[in-house]
Amino acid sequence: MNEQEFIVEMRGITKRFPGITANDGVSIQIRKGEIYAILGENGAGKSTLMSMLFGMIEPDEGEIFIRGKRERIDSPRRATQLSIGMVHQHFRLVSNYTVAENIILGMEPEKKCGPFPMVDIAGANAKVAALSERYGLQVDPTDVIEDLNVATRQRVEILKMLYREAEILIFDEPTAVLTPQEIAAFLDIVRGLRDQGKTVILITHKLEEIKQVADRCAILNRGKLISVMDVASSTTSDMARMMVGHEVSFSTPKAPPHFGSPVLRLENLTVKNAAGFNSVNSVSFEVRAGEVLGIAGVSGNGQNELADAIAGLQRCHGGKIILNGRDISNLSIRERVEAGVAYIPEDRHNVGLVLDFTLRDNLMLKQYYRARFAHRHVMDEIAFDEYGKELIGRYDIRSNQGDATITRSMSGGNQQKAVIARELDLKTPLVVFMQPTRGLDAGAVSNIHRQIIAERDRGAAVLLISLDLDEILDCSDTIAIIFQGHINKIAPAASLTVEEIGLYMMGVKGGEAA
Amino acid sequence: MTELLNMMIIDGLSFALPLFIMAIGGIYSEKSGITNLALEGFQGVGAFTGAFAAVFLAQSMTGALPYYVSFLCAIIGGGVFALLHALLCIRFRANQVISGVVMNILAMAMTTFLTKRINAAVFGHAGNKFLLGTSARFTVPVLSDIPVLGAVFTDVYPFEVIILVVAVVMSYVLYRTPFGLRLRACGDNPHSVDAAGVDVNRVRSVAVVISGCLSGIAGMSFAYSISANFSADIYLGYGYLSIAALIFGNWTILPAFGACLLFGLARSGGTVLIQQLGLPSSYNDLVRILPYVLTLVLLIFFSRSNRSPRALGEPYEKGKR
Ligand SMILES: Nc1ncnc2c1ncn2[C@@H]1O[C@H](COP(=O)(O)OP(=O)(O)OP(=O)(O)O)[C@@H](O)[C@H]1O
Ligand SMILES: [Mg+2]
Repeated sequence: MNEQEFIVEMRGITKRFPGITANDGVSIQIRKGEIYAILGENGAGKSTLMSMLFGMIEPDEGEIFIRGKRERIDSPRRATQLSIGMVHQHFRLVSNYTVAENIILGMEPEKKCGPFPMVDIAGANAKVAALSERYGLQVDPTDVIEDLNVATRQRVEILKMLYREAEILIFDEPTAVLTPQEIAAFLDIVRGLRDQGKTVILITHKLEEIKQVADRCAILNRGKLISVMDVASSTTSDMARMMVGHEVSFSTPKAPPHFGSPVLRLENLTVKNAAGFNSVNSVSFEVRAGEVLGIAGVSGNGQNELADAIAGLQRCHGGKIILNGRDISNLSIRERVEAGVAYIPEDRHNVGLVLDFTLRDNLMLKQYYRARFAHRHVMDEIAFDEYGKELIGRYDIRSNQGDATITRSMSGGNQQKAVIARELDLKTPLVVFMQPTRGLDAGAVSNIHRQIIAERDRGAAVLLISLDLDEILDCSDTIAIIFQGHINKIAPAASLTVEEIGLYMMGVKGGEAA
Repeated sequence: MTELLNMMIIDGLSFALPLFIMAIGGIYSEKSGITNLALEGFQGVGAFTGAFAAVFLAQSMTGALPYYVSFLCAIIGGGVFALLHALLCIRFRANQVISGVVMNILAMAMTTFLTKRINAAVFGHAGNKFLLGTSARFTVPVLSDIPVLGAVFTDVYPFEVIILVVAVVMSYVLYRTPFGLRLRACGDNPHSVDAAGVDVNRVRSVAVVISGCLSGIAGMSFAYSISANFSADIYLGYGYLSIAALIFGNWTILPAFGACLLFGLARSGGTVLIQQLGLPSSYNDLVRILPYVLTLVLLIFFSRSNRSPRALGEPYEKGKR
C-alpha cells in the first residue's frame, strides 16, 4: 500500500488510565481530504484517541505517522506544527477577549510601536475577517466571546485552527450543543472545509450526521476498534448495531397510556430573565399522572426558565405552580423535592453534579439528610455506601473505581446515568427531564427513553423538555410547542405531524392554544 | 488654604504612587490566575534588601548612586522572594491564599531577624532598623507655579518619577504586547493558552516574579518617605491596601490608579485636617485608618459589579476536563 496515501496513521495505540484501558491496540488510517467519522458508545475511548493525535496525552504503546512520517506528538504545540487542529467538547476560549484576540493567541502578528513590539490588532482583525469570509463562517472579529452563542463560538474555534493553517481538523462532538438549524449549517461548513482540501475527523453520536457527510466511519467499543465502515454502503442501523454489539431500536416500545388525575398544573406562570424580559410568558398547562408531556421548541424560547422555575432554581414572577393541588410556587428547592419534584437539569456539569465529589456522594445529594442516612445530623457512611452501590448496580453506572470514582473523570454518558439514577430513585409524582440525552450515544439514548416511559407507566407525570424533535416524538403522549415564552399549541402527539410542529416552532402558525 | 491643599496633594501623591506600582504587580499576578495576598511581604523584603544595600554603600559612597542602587536591589529582592510564592502555588499547587499569608508572616519574621543580625555583624552596632533618612526632593520650575496642579510638580521624590515610568512600561506590556495578551488569557481560561502552545505555568511564574519586583519598588519608596528607615514598621498593611485598590480598579491598571489616588488623598487629607483642628498628633493614628474605612465603604458599592479573573486561584492541570 502506498504510504503517502494516508495523511494520518495510528498503529496499535494503547492507552491505560487507572482501572481502565481507554484504547486497546487501535489502528486507524485516514486519507487526505476525507471526512472520517468516529463512532462509539460513551466511554468507548473516542476522545482519548483523538487527544493523543493532538498531543494532549501520549499513548502508552503504539506509533503515530503523519504524512507517512513517524512522529512523536508530545504537546498540542507539536500537533499544531504538524498542522493538526482540534475543537474540544468543551470550548477553549478566553471569555473576555474578542474573537480576533482568541484566534491569534500564541501566534500574535506583531508590528512596531517605535522601537517596541506590539500586537497588531488591526492586522489580526483583517486577517480573521478574510479567513471567515473565505470559509463562509460569518464571524465578526471584534465581537467579545461572552456575548456570542454556542454555534458562533464553535466557528471561532474553527477559525482558530484555520488561522494556524491546520490541514487535519478534529471535531469532538461538535453538534451536541447545537440546535437542528445550527447543525445543518455546521455540516455545510464541514463539507466546505473538505472541498478546500482539508481532512476532517468527526466524533459524533448522531448517525444521521455521519450518513450525511462522512466518507468512512470507524467504530470503537470499549477501547477496541470494531470495524471501519464505508458510509455510502451502510445504513444507520448497521452502524448502530456494530457500535453496541446488538440491534438498537430507534423507537421506544410503549403501551397505550393510562391517564390519571392532573399532577402538575401551571396557571399563567411568568418568569423574567436577568434583563427583566418575560422569558416565560403566562404559560398554563396540565400534566396528568401516567402522561408524558413533551415540550418542543427552538432553543432559547424559554425552556430553561420554565424548567428551572418548576424545580425552584428560578423565582416565578407571576402565576402559580400547583402540584397535586398544592401551590408550590414559593417553596424552597428542598421543600419541592419533598413535595415530589424530581429534576434532571440540562447542564449536568454545573447544575446536576458536583464534579469533584465521588460518585457515591453525588448520588446522595438529594437524600443525605433523610432519617435513613443521617442520625442526629451525622451522616451514616455505611448507609451511604450501601445506597451508592445499590444505585450503581441498578442503573448500570460504569466507572473506573466504583462508588469512590471522582465524578469528573467519568464519561458523559455515565455522568448522566448518575443524575438520572439519583432523581428517579426519589420516586416522585412529577419528573422533569430537560434535554436528558444531550451528548449521549444511541444505546444510552434508547435506554433513557425507556426509563422515561417506565416512569410514565409507574404513574408519574413526566415533563420532557427537549430541543431534539425526534426525542419528543418518540416519547410524548401530548406535545406542547413553546415559542417566545408562550405555549403556541398543545395537542395529543398522534394528532400532530412533524411539519406542523416545525411551523409552530418557528412561530409561523399558532395563537390557538388549547 | 492653598498651602493646605498643596500639602494634601504632595503627601497624597507620594503615598498613592508606591501603592499604585504595587497594585500593578498584583494585577499582573492575579490576571495570570495566581491569587496574590503576598504583596505585603514582597514589599517588605524588597525594602529590606534595598535598605541594606543603601546603608552598605553609604559607608563608602556619597551622592545619588546608593539611592538608585537601592531601588535596583529592592526590585531584585522582591522578585527573588516572589519566586518562593510562585514555586509553592505553581509547582506544588499549594493553596494560594495560604501561601500568600505564609509569605507575609515569613517576610516579617525573616527581615526583622536579619536586620538585627546584620546590624551586629556588618555594621557593628545593635539596632533593629536600617536608618536611611528621607529621600531628597525636587521641584520642577515653572510647572510648579501653576495654581493647584502645581503641587504635583512640587517637592517630588525621585522615586515618584521612577514609578511613573515603570507604570507606563508595565501598562504597555500588559495591554499591548503578545506576552500581556497571553498573561491575561491565563487568568481567564488557561486551557485556551495551553492549546495555543504556550506554557501556562511559565507565564504565571513570570507574572508572580514581576509582582515581587514591582512591590520591591513600593517597599523601598515607603522606606525612603514615610518611615525614613527600614524596620518592622514597614509592615503596616500597605500591601493589603494595594490589593483593595486593584479590586476596586476591577483588575485594570488605570482605574486602580484612581483608587490609589483616593486612598492617598484620604490619608493626607486626614492629616491636614487634624493639624487644622489643632488636635494632638496622637490623632494621626486615627487618620491612618481612613484609607481602610474608605475601603470598607467602597467594598459595599464595588463588590457586586466587579469580576475577578475567572480562573483566579485555580492551579492549572493539563488533563482536567
Ligand atoms: N484523564 C482521565 N483519567 C482517568 N480516566 C479517564 C481519563 N480520560 C478518560 N478516562 C476514561 O477513559 C474512558 C474513555 O473515555 P473517553 O473520554 O475517551 O470516552 P468517549 O468515547 O469520548 O466518551 P463520550 O462519548 O462520553 O465523550 C472512560 O472510561 C473515561 O472514564
Ligand atoms: Mg468524548
